[in-house]
Amino acid sequence: MAQYEEVEVHGYEEFCKAVSERKGKDIFAYFSGDKDEQGRSWCPDCVKAEPVVRGEMEHLPEGSVFIYCQVGDRPYWKDPNNEFKKTLKLTGVPTLLHYGTPQTLVEERCFKADLVRMMFTED
Amino acid sequence: SLEQSISHQTRKYDYDLVVIGGGSGGLACSKEAAQLGQKVAVLDYVEASVRGTTWGLGGTCVNVGCIPKKLMHQAALLGTAVKDAKKYGWKIPEPVSHDWATMSQAVQNHVKSLNWGHRVQLQDRKVKYLNMKGSLVDEHTIRGMNAKGKEMTVTARNVVIATGGRPKYPTHVPGALEFGISMMKWPHVGLECAGFLTGIGLDTTVMVRSIALRGFDQQMSRLVTDYMEAYGTRFSWDAVPKKVEKLPSGLLQVTWTDTQSKQEHQDAFNTVLWAVGRAPETKTLNLKQVGVELNEDTGKVIVAADERTSMSNIFAIGDIAQGRPELTPTAIKAGKLLARRLAGHSSQLMNYDNVPTTVFTPLEYGCVGLSEEEAERRCGKENVEVYHAFYKPLEFTVAERDAGQCYIKVVCEGHGDQRVLGLHFTGPNAGEVTQGFALGLQCGFTYAQLRDTVGIHPTCAEELTKINITKRSGLDATVTGC
Repeated sequence: MAQYEEVEVHGYEEFCKAVSERKGKDIFAYFSGDKDEQGRSWCPDCVKAEPVVRGEMEHLPEGSVFIYCQVGDRPYWKDPNNEFKKTLKLTGVPTLLHYGTPQTLVEERCFKADLVRMMFTED
Repeated sequence: SLEQSISHQTRKYDYDLVVIGGGSGGLACSKEAAQLGQKVAVLDYVEASVRGTTWGLGGTCVNVGCIPKKLMHQAALLGTAVKDAKKYGWKIPEPVSHDWATMSQAVQNHVKSLNWGHRVQLQDRKVKYLNMKGSLVDEHTIRGMNAKGKEMTVTARNVVIATGGRPKYPTHVPGALEFGISMMKWPHVGLECAGFLTGIGLDTTVMVRSIALRGFDQQMSRLVTDYMEAYGTRFSWDAVPKKVEKLPSGLLQVTWTDTQSKQEHQDAFNTVLWAVGRAPETKTLNLKQVGVELNEDTGKVIVAADERTSMSNIFAIGDIAQGRPELTPTAIKAGKLLARRLAGHSSQLMNYDNVPTTVFTPLEYGCVGLSEEEAERRCGKENVEVYHAFYKPLEFTVAERDAGQCYIKVVCEGHGDQRVLGLHFTGPNAGEVTQGFALGLQCGFTYAQLRDTVGIHPTCAEELTKINITKRSGLDATVTGC
């Protein structure tokens, strides 16, 4: 069983804080639209991708960090100048990325278990 | 025999196609074949360089060739642009300097994104990727070995060899392997590197044994090197290196002989970069034993017009194949067409004629078709008409830059419609300029059609549509302003 740390954050500032507190670690981040009180996201692709991503988390490398980040509500996300889009260069939700590398999977690519596993297991 | 041929058709293999080599040719071929419904695997493995460097999926072009080269060339061009900018009114505080680490990291990041992109694409298209060093056991069996030495075998109906090449080291020069680093592609990448290294502020010397840009039009080649010399790159012509030694200071002392004066020279450098050619990656493939014939001189795989080797189910594309241009676009296109033929979708062969190319030296050189000397060799000097012009890019005027080597040459048949045989251009954005004219050459355009084309103004490319002075006339070929 892989030993990784799971961190839940909400919004850009919390995300950056979580990253800066874990310097030198291998960080994977999953960005999703906010969930409501029933735990459902406004983003239908995020709802579809989450179980796929979670299903591959056993392949996360030892000592790595998995940050689950809710980006905000739909109007916040739709704004082209939100910090995630401007600074992190995200183009869609869900996005799964390997922080500090060019490895990303966006939207429908997150539905593919083999791609998710590839990201978690390859250099 | 009939029995063998029937058994070959009906026998079950692990894969319809196994490609050895995940570079430009190998990836294009495997992705296309998979898209057409074939079951495909690709083996890619990078043997560490002498210095221990290695890289990801994508081959030479992506990792250590065209892509990083062009990005670094762009870095150097931007340095020149900053200098020009002041003349155009920009207030830029001095001194302007270049940071190697910043550029290097940015380039590496882009290369890594391409490695990842290829990985995702292979997975998307259901191509099995094996990070293993491939070799042939027999014509249908491929052995793969991973970095840890673990082996496995797979069988395939068809095999494509696309392992490319690796740089040669001049092993007869003492110290060459130990102290030098090497170039990936040749012959022009040595010049391109010297060009961008000079452009980012490094004192660079090019040592040339005889001629630069062998195989290219020699007049154009001289213009390129003349510009580089004026631009700050040092050249040691007719130089043959004898040895490389490490000095106590850590610098490398290079000893060379001037083949004209027979004198020996020495100088000290921080880095020695060898750009003396590439050798095909065939050593460990086991080709001879399986019956795949290699060219005696080059060591490359002998192929027919349909890329087939001496074994009917084994093919070779890209730099590994004898007689093919060592270029990415030809490898890609050949790979795709081969995949279509193997999947039974087409019988179209790759056309290797009139392949355009560009040398990305500080003054870029784009060309398509025959060099002047090749046209004269094939048709006879009296049957070739060469139109030419020295022009000045508008952008150089305000920047007060010398345009003495900005030049165009259109080599035509001397008779009848004067069909264009070759087109040559030195100047900014040479690749962009030449691409469209390559289509013209493909269509067999004539000098008259070129002159009938309206130019776009103000550009450098339009000078091609206005070209009218022949070499034969002896008249001054300098274009005057509009």
